[in-house]
Amino acid sequence: MTDIMDQLLNHPLGRGVLLGGVLVGLMMGVGAFSTYLERKFAGRIQNRLGPTIVGPFGLFQVIADGIKMLRKEIIIPRAADPVLFLLAPIVAVTLTLASAAVIPFAEGMEPVVTSVGLLWLLAFSGLLVFPVWWAGWASNNKYALFGSMRAVAQGVSYEIPLVMAALVPVILAGSLDFGAIVAAQKGGAWFIWSNPVGAIAFIIFFLASLAEANRIPFDIPEAESELIAGPSVEYTGILWGMFPLAEYIHTFIASAVASLMFFGGWLGPGPDGLHWMALKTGALYLAVYWLRWSLVRFRSDQLMRFCWHWLVPISLALIVIATLWVHAGFGGSA
Amino acid sequence: MSLMPYAFGGLAAVVLLGSFFAASSQNLVRSVLWLGAALIGTAGLFALLNAPFLAGIQLILYTGGIITLMLFGVMLTDREHAVTRQNPSLNPLAALMVAGTFFALLATAIMNTELPVHMKDLNGGTQAVGFNLLQEHLLAFEALSFLLLAAMVGAIVLARRRDAE
Repeated sequence: MTDIMDQLLNHPLGRGVLLGGVLVGLMMGVGAFSTYLERKFAGRIQNRLGPTIVGPFGLFQVIADGIKMLRKEIIIPRAADPVLFLLAPIVAVTLTLASAAVIPFAEGMEPVVTSVGLLWLLAFSGLLVFPVWWAGWASNNKYALFGSMRAVAQGVSYEIPLVMAALVPVILAGSLDFGAIVAAQKGGAWFIWSNPVGAIAFIIFFLASLAEANRIPFDIPEAESELIAGPSVEYTGILWGMFPLAEYIHTFIASAVASLMFFGGWLGPGPDGLHWMALKTGALYLAVYWLRWSLVRFRSDQLMRFCWHWLVPISLALIVIATLWVHAGFGGSA
Repeated sequence: MSLMPYAFGGLAAVVLLGSFFAASSQNLVRSVLWLGAALIGTAGLFALLNAPFLAGIQLILYTGGIITLMLFGVMLTDREHAVTRQNPSLNPLAALMVAGTFFALLATAIMNTELPVHMKDLNGGTQAVGFNLLQEHLLAFEALSFLLLAAMVGAIVLARRRDAE
């Protein structure tokens, strides 16, 4: 049995299919379960119970919702661009899953081994704004187009502080490799407190990745009260479902990356391993819900001003300080 | 068995088809998206050639830049039908000459370059790129960034003038 596994894992195609399958299954599971978790969490915050009827603790609500979504008719508006309309949600999910491929969930547990994991992750998640934009354009609906214009403006702007905040741990560790970034945080020297800039860089990184994933308080492209639902307004059934799915998975990945870069990933007091990574990622992921159900939406211009007047200059300053810090001989192994 | 030839073939097909449809598509948005596909294919080729850093940068800068291009395309064409059905070739003869010259230049450059035979001799890693940019070609790098800065200042000045009127 193990022989077959070894052979499969050593063959590039076998490895790709096997690990890719596991990863896709895992991420889809996370995405589906998130819908339940979010409703339960929101319910508790608002002094309600959330789903309780279907199955124990309402757990089978996920399955019920999934079946409902699959059975709904897929409607393509007559004036829409049918090919782009159909492709947009599929590409959104594909890109999200592709960005998950470089994340190590424990030491050496990454499906794609590369020395520039962080760069690839940023590249793929930066491309996510594409399908959202062309979904809005292909829908041929003014609300959808407005929403997708906002999505692009927000995505392109927030990508700058996102990348620059991500550079801080890169400078401190002297590597773009997640493994090396985590290894540089050994002995409790997590980047969030081992240096003067980590905490601020984490906050900027986290806010900017929320903005990239269009989560409240940054869900301006959707803005159901002004734009109905933005780019996804014309979508029905499972095609619509792919957008929130991609959003959930993207948020989860952002939480995983934040815990790798600032909280030591799989390192922890006691034995290192997957459990620490899961715990940290889970805690950050819940913090996203917590923010979402506690805050209201920004206005579009407030959002842009916050990015360009505050986040960008601060993250530039952080890079300079981090460079000086490493140059002065603290931390870093470059 | 190596998967290299198949991976290369697939990526090359993506680049070629993407470029072809980017030029021939009658729909501006589709044509820009095809260009994006071609650029993603190029990133794949970089990754295949043992240059993961270049692949990532290609995705972020070039493919990511496409989205801005697309926005300009849509914002600068005033009517929607202009976006959906207008991509005329203004002067095929001139286009052919430019493309031919460029092809000849590239072909000569490729023919005259000694290509490393072994994959392990190729190095497009982060360190190699860093040393090239910030040590060997520091002056050119700085000149380029200065040029970009000037372009950015120019763009701001042009955009401002409209406000003053």
